[in-house]
Amino acid sequence: MSSEVIAMRTNELSRVRAIRHWVVGLVVMCGLLAGTQALVAHHAGTMFSDEVKEISGTVKEFQFTNPHSWIQVMVETKPGAPPQEWSVEWGSPNQLGRRGIRPSTFKSGAKVTMRIRPMRDGSPAGGFVGAKLGDGAVVGSWE
Amino acid sequence: MRVLKIAGVVMLLTAAHASGQSRDTLPDWSGVWQMVGGTVFDRATASGQGGALSQGLRERPPYNAQWEAIYQRNLKLRDQSQLPDPINTCGTPAGFPRVMNLPDMYEFVVRPEQTWILTENGPNVLRIYTDGRPHPAPDDRWPTYTGDSVGKWEGDTLVFSTLSTKNSQWPTEGDTVLDRTGLVLSDAAHIVTRLRRVDEQTMEARMVIEDAKALTAPWNVTKTYRRQPAGTRVYDYGCAENNRNPVDTSTGKTLILGPEGEKFGQ
Repeated sequence: MSSEVIAMRTNELSRVRAIRHWVVGLVVMCGLLAGTQALVAHHAGTMFSDEVKEISGTVKEFQFTNPHSWIQVMVETKPGAPPQEWSVEWGSPNQLGRRGIRPSTFKSGAKVTMRIRPMRDGSPAGGFVGAKLGDGAVVGSWE
Repeated sequence: MRVLKIAGVVMLLTAAHASGQSRDTLPDWSGVWQMVGGTVFDRATASGQGGALSQGLRERPPYNAQWEAIYQRNLKLRDQSQLPDPINTCGTPAGFPRVMNLPDMYEFVVRPEQTWILTENGPNVLRIYTDGRPHPAPDDRWPTYTGDSVGKWEGDTLVFSTLSTKNSQWPTEGDTVLDRTGLVLSDAAHIVTRLRRVDEQTMEARMVIEDAKALTAPWNVTKTYRRQPAGTRVYDYGCAENNRNPVDTSTGKTLILGPEGEKFGQ
């Protein structure tokens, strides 16, 4: 493969990545809506605080299921300590799917920083607000 | 064989005649629709800010003193996050008239002998018979979540009557609500709905709710639905697929199940 072709492919890849980030960013505005409205569908979201908390770690699993989707995140606590598993609740796949979210949006093993509305009782769970993935892609509301 | 064919044609003609519409003159309600606004059932009388779960927000159905007291009790429980929703139990139908007050997608399927309202959330089906049949006699009907609906066409408007719904003073008795503020009705509820497509983008349901046990006057509520972009899909809604939100029956609080089944939020 010539260096010219490699350069073209690299440019193309950058463009694709840029478009992908833009699309994901767009999706995320919708994500905020989904995050606030979707939870209404099956149960109330009153167990979540109004404050926003940030957690960082690795995606264990994205349960793209009804009546709600769940993102299981292994959150780093202290250096050397085992990570703590957090359960982050989001909308139904029906609502999220129509807004461009896919089962592949959160891949297992992906590094992620997530903004959530944590449970009022301090349990390791919360309602999804937004996320920034290791490659810089944003999902949901971040600003 | 020929006799059977003739009988079939006569049955079809009878159904079309009874409904007041033939297949050719039925309105086009195709497409996918979504309710406009939040799920506060009677937004026109609501006072206070926010949605059905917002503290202080309430509606003003013309309740008598007894049922106003029930509603006030439910509003207080709502404010304490201790008013669970019957549909938190997967498989529980929304019931009528709440079936007209759901999030997610709607479809309105019009046939000469019946109209079906399909809701993605739930899912729920409301069957409205338009083949000329009356409601069953009192001895032949029993309360159900969605009740019994019969209707007729007045031009492009489907006018239907619904009764035989369940008595509910949820959460102490019965198992239906109209929204998450805790609105409830008795088994004497009789609702007449006028359903029509107002324009290309809008469906409208005007409901007149009477309830000799709970209300002192007819209660008028209008819900509207917006057409979704062409190609919008409606999906399966398997509530039991991964329901991690059980209700603590001792407190009425909705919980979250952790990855090992731990109960959060007690």
